[in-house]
Amino acid sequence: MSETSRRGFIAVAGAGAAAGAVAATAGAAAGADPAHGGGLGGGGPVMVYIEDPAAGRLTVMSGDDEVDVTDKDLVGRILRAAGVR
Amino acid sequence: MSSHREAPEISKDPVADGTDVYAFVSPDKPSTVTLIANFIPLQKPDSGPNFFEFGDDVLYEIHVANSGRATPDISYQFRFSTRIRNPRTFLYNTGPIQNIGDVAWNRPQTYTVTQVARRGRQTTRKVLGTNLPCPPVNVGVRSTPDYPALARQAVRFLPGGKRVFAGQRADAFHVDLGSIFDLGALRPFNEAHLINMPEMNGRNSTQSFNVHSIALQVPIEQLTRTGRRPSGVGDPAATIGVWATASRQKSRVLDRKQARYVGVGPWKQVSRLANPLFNEVIVPMAEKDRWNIRPPSGDRQYQRYVYRPELAALLPQLYPGVFPRLAAYRKERADLHAILLTGIPAGVVDGFQNFTGPTPADMLRLNVAVPPTAEPNPLGLVAGDAAGFPNGRRVGDDVVTVELRAVAGLTIPLVDPSFTPDDAAAAVQDGTSNTNAPLLANFPYLGHPGGGYQTEPGTTSVGSERR
Repeated sequence: MSETSRRGFIAVAGAGAAAGAVAATAGAAAGADPAHGGGLGGGGPVMVYIEDPAAGRLTVMSGDDEVDVTDKDLVGRILRAAGVR
Repeated sequence: MSSHREAPEISKDPVADGTDVYAFVSPDKPSTVTLIANFIPLQKPDSGPNFFEFGDDVLYEIHVANSGRATPDISYQFRFSTRIRNPRTFLYNTGPIQNIGDVAWNRPQTYTVTQVARRGRQTTRKVLGTNLPCPPVNVGVRSTPDYPALARQAVRFLPGGKRVFAGQRADAFHVDLGSIFDLGALRPFNEAHLINMPEMNGRNSTQSFNVHSIALQVPIEQLTRTGRRPSGVGDPAATIGVWATASRQKSRVLDRKQARYVGVGPWKQVSRLANPLFNEVIVPMAEKDRWNIRPPSGDRQYQRYVYRPELAALLPQLYPGVFPRLAAYRKERADLHAILLTGIPAGVVDGFQNFTGPTPADMLRLNVAVPPTAEPNPLGLVAGDAAGFPNGRRVGDDVVTVELRAVAGLTIPLVDPSFTPDDAAAAVQDGTSNTNAPLLANFPYLGHPGGGYQTEPGTTSVGSERR
């Protein structure tokens, strides 16, 4: 590689440096610090986990937290929506 | 990595895989204790374009128990955050990285340290430091031309006279993995093995590999339950229990917008480590994953594997005629139970104790009243050096040899003076030493990591030839 090409290569590679930092993992940091539990509904996905359908209990997870809910009707509707019988 | 890839599940999650824990009175600053937890095993230095880093989605913790219950009275939590400076380049660095804030380093990682103190029902959280920098990995002579300087810049002071470092280090653990896990062979004793071969020196499997270390140096009085330096070795408050964990959120979902998994829910332990080699060679394969997610305070359910370790039964079979007294010994291994699960009570070893109470728990037990030794013996307590393993664990302690000899029966006389160990029990070893980077005399004590450019590939062996 010629000297001109090498300088050009490094210049192109560093061109974005002046644009500032880009947060690559902002989503993970938001509300995920266990030292500051953000509670449910703090943004980000909400996950529902049904471990024992017969008990009618589901676990709702969001941020750093989870809450157990007993609702047989809701569990039934979720299972039907998932095609589970 | 005394505990690298030691369980099926964690072997598939290297970023959360704890490899070693160390706890020792700092040799150059004996008013403090240094706690080190290593993660991410077997890092090849030559590993671009993406190098090794802590997980932004992992909660790393170092725990201290000081109230006799084997539960964490103090936890130091570490959370990491990575950013990309220039999203348009594929490079980890766009030029030589001259200092830790150099914009040429395209993927800097920083972290937050939080102290969680528990006393009775009260829990107190205190953020000790934020936006603390990790050093880059040791890329090579052009990219990280003065790596020691970069590493020094990553040593930071925290309130209360503490110091912290988090970043890549050379692995200080040495072990002949290829031989030991090839049917329990020890190369120096090849000729005595059931499948005998010519004897040879041990091969250090971790030579040339790096790890990621979290190191914390804390004044002793901040770790004891009395809040003071102990009055002496016999002081009941002199011994602290130490272990490290990694946790992930209970659930993960693939976020297509971010093109990565995002954690959801409470933090759940996925890995833990205290005594070297505990989950590796004492806990059965079928129990290793469950062991990793449980706290040490529940280790009573594993004590049967300590009382009757499988390895002690295998040694006489693998080396016929070498361990006849060990083979004939039928009593429970109360010596190993004390060393690994409760600490050694007063009266067993002259002038020493590191007993933390009757709750069986895998913890490193450090009696902080034992001062550092001027010339440490890598064999620690069994060689008369009470500042070494199993009194905590120093970076240079040869834990493989110590534990091999203990399992082989060398420590039975501590609890059963009627037993005379086999001659081989005092000689058995894997024949390795630390052939990786030299250790440092100062914090963080682990040597500088090997560089990518400088690293030469190892040799492979094809076929089934015996060597």
